Amino acid sequence: MRPRYLILLSIFCVIAALTGPASAGPADITVTSSTLDPQVLMKGDTGTLTIVIQNTGAETVAIKSARLYGSGVVPLSEPYPSVGELGAGNTKTFTFTVRADGGEGTFYPQFVLDFRNDGSLRHPVPVQVEDTPLSASVINKPDAFAEGRTADITVRVGNPRPNAASGVQVIPIGTGFTATPTGGFVGALAPDAAGTVTFNLTPTAETDVTFQVVWRNGINTHTADLVLPVTFGEDKRQADPVITNVEVTPEAGRYRVVGDISNAGLESARSVVIAPGAPAAPTDPFRIYVVGTLDPDDISSFEVTFKAERNVTEVPIVVEYRDGDGNRYTATTMVGLGGATLPAEGSGGDLPVVAIIVVVLVALGIAGAIYYSWRRT
Amino acid sequence: MNTGFLRVLLDPGRFFEARMQGEPSLKVPALIALVIGIIGAVSAALSANVTIAAFPADMQAFGSIGVAIAVVGGIIGGFFTWVAFGIVFYIVSMLFVGDGDLKRTLEFTGYGLLPQVFGGIIGAVFSYQLISNLTIPTASRPEDIAVVVEALTNAMLADPLTQIIGIISILFLIWSANIWIFGMKYARNLSTRNAALTVGIPVGLYILINLVTLIGLM
Repeated sequence: MRPRYLILLSIFCVIAALTGPASAGPADITVTSSTLDPQVLMKGDTGTLTIVIQNTGAETVAIKSARLYGSGVVPLSEPYPSVGELGAGNTKTFTFTVRADGGEGTFYPQFVLDFRNDGSLRHPVPVQVEDTPLSASVINKPDAFAEGRTADITVRVGNPRPNAASGVQVIPIGTGFTATPTGGFVGALAPDAAGTVTFNLTPTAETDVTFQVVWRNGINTHTADLVLPVTFGEDKRQADPVITNVEVTPEAGRYRVVGDISNAGLESARSVVIAPGAPAAPTDPFRIYVVGTLDPDDISSFEVTFKAERNVTEVPIVVEYRDGDGNRYTATTMVGLGGATLPAEGSGGDLPVVAIIVVVLVALGIAGAIYYSWRRT
Repeated sequence: MNTGFLRVLLDPGRFFEARMQGEPSLKVPALIALVIGIIGAVSAALSANVTIAAFPADMQAFGSIGVAIAVVGGIIGGFFTWVAFGIVFYIVSMLFVGDGDLKRTLEFTGYGLLPQVFGGIIGAVFSYQLISNLTIPTASRPEDIAVVVEALTNAMLADPLTQIIGIISILFLIWSANIWIFGMKYARNLSTRNAALTVGIPVGLYILINLVTLIGLM
């Protein structure tokens, strides 16, 4: 061998020694997994994208940088400017914060690895964005609301989304009512799962009650509203006191009304009290008549006494009763006084003193006349 | 003291004794019966008028007929009372072998009705007070008239004034009976005892019936 070849060989060896061992290329790096938390974003949501790579080659790979870019789903965090080497068989995890800025659909932001000795790896990461909110519906409510009457309202919250929702709550919002509890906690809802919350709602006026469903998708809080109009009406099941078989009897200075009261409704009427209403003036002995509880189809007799002016032809008989929640109701039945005559006050139960005095004087006078007539005989 | 036929009120014995001296005359007794009838007619008219006030408007015309019937009935009632008591006394006195004609009996019975004039006036005043204190609802339908009249009657019977009117009527009837005893004594030539029985039996029965009715109302 010529000396000149020996010199070239020596220089090559020196260069090889200086440059170190040989490095593997992009073909040995593989993206083994990518996960997004939450699994499915909603529009505007912020999520965490975690990407794991592995060196499947037999030699160390020098990685210069790692970054993520794309449209629709944009990274919020800084790229990895200097990654370093990844030994054979080793894995490395990259985490990016992303935000769904676009519409719905599946987006593919690019994960890019730049290698130190030229070359790069581009890997599209699928990110799903779906804006479907949780659904809420009222599954139980009364046929009609009444002022001050407590009603049970049951709200069912369902999760039609492809991923789980956490921290699900239902909060009634609005004015003109009180609700117990003030908020209902459902917790986590798996996809296609549902939970229910029951509220005791007591309206004080006709209003709209908004049941606000609050949940978290990852770290993002969302709400959905369910509006329940509260309008007052007649409950089809409520107690219905009916007065029948009424007899009006005029007495000295007052009227006496006797009759039957029956409950034609489907619920019990409690604390039933019967009294004559204006223009009648209740008087003893039966200013009011307490019936108590009147169950459906039950019947009870009653009796009230009252005074009324001479020109009054009919008076209302007022029935007051309560439901199971203590709400007060009234029902009025007009009772005609036609056919009944009333001795005026003062001529009635009280003895007419003047007339009695006249009777006494007449009796004394007649007795005197009789005595005198026999004495003259 | 001679104050005409009014003397029969306080001194019936002397009065009838004096009347026995003349021929029987029914003029004054008939006048007394007429006055009693008129007073009764006024009371009946008041009651009828109240009842008519409860009639429907289109039936008010029939009310005048009712008032007229009540007036006529009241006047006839005065004469009927006179004649009825007279005949009854005449018949009962026959049991005690009474001697005297019917005309004299009727004459003295008529005089004995004089206290009924005062009793009738006081009774009419109380009846008016009783009726004026009633509240009379109008019957809107002809079918309600019977109910209204029944209720009106019940209300009147329930009033203490009704009992007082009855008591006054009995008191003046006792006064009349006292006069009739003297009357029958002379008219039928009876002893005082028999005259008292002649008057006492029918009048006592009449008063007893009235008392039973009054007690039933209390």
